[in-house]
Amino acid sequence: MDQESSSHHEFPVLGKAYFMGGRASTSVKRVLAAAGVEDEVIQRVSVACYEAEMNVVLHARSGFISLDILPDRIVLEVHDQGPGIEDVDLAMTRGWSSASDEARSLGFGAGMGLPNIKDHADDMRIESTPGRGVSMVLTFFLGDRVHD
Amino acid sequence: MTEVASRTVASVAEALGLTVAGGENHLAVPVTGAQVCDLLSFVISHGRQGHLWITIQTHPNIIAAASLAGLSAIIIASGFEPEDETIDRADEQGIALLTSKDSAYTLAGRVYELGLR
Repeated sequence: MDQESSSHHEFPVLGKAYFMGGRASTSVKRVLAAAGVEDEVIQRVSVACYEAEMNVVLHARSGFISLDILPDRIVLEVHDQGPGIEDVDLAMTRGWSSASDEARSLGFGAGMGLPNIKDHADDMRIESTPGRGVSMVLTFFLGDRVHD
Repeated sequence: MTEVASRTVASVAEALGLTVAGGENHLAVPVTGAQVCDLLSFVISHGRQGHLWITIQTHPNIIAAASLAGLSAIIIASGFEPEDETIDRADEQGIALLTSKDSAYTLAGRVYELGLR
């Protein structure tokens, strides 16, 4: 990848459409691969992006994911319109979940999503206004192994 | 974990008598190990490139999770059948989708016996 270049991409996410979940993340992975980002970073972004996308699908009405590929890092922003999170610290606790029984029966809502994001991103900022929605900014630093 | 490079999805499918339900053009992919799990968050964070995924989930989202985690194939256990949309996505995203009447427990044991650790 050209060290001076950067690119911006956006992907919509539809709330409650369980079976559409993962589409935006799959597109993000494809864009990163086309940009020549190293596999280890693509893998981490893919996991975090999928969890963030499913968080929107499971809890919000709608949202979008923006992807910025910068010379030294990848920045993923995930914004949704929905109920938001009352207590972000509690929601970050492994195993804590407010997902519906329907979501749980499909193998979601195990309370692993937000901790998984934190584990896979180099930096995670999450803000929520209850009744409005959730915003996340995730940063992944690129090593010097990124090539054309 | 010991990786057995010579194992492909096709050779595992043949050894275990699995039925190919989708993604039939993607059976030459190498298999490096396996995961047995029905929680998508777990498999996406613990699955590694080339792992087989044994599950009883049948909905289309399993294809996105497998594709994002770089898994080699999904085996749906205990006689459950994938939804039509799941099969379409498997073809679209290049993930082999296999089924078996055996339980996840039995399948895991047989995959282990094949030398995949």
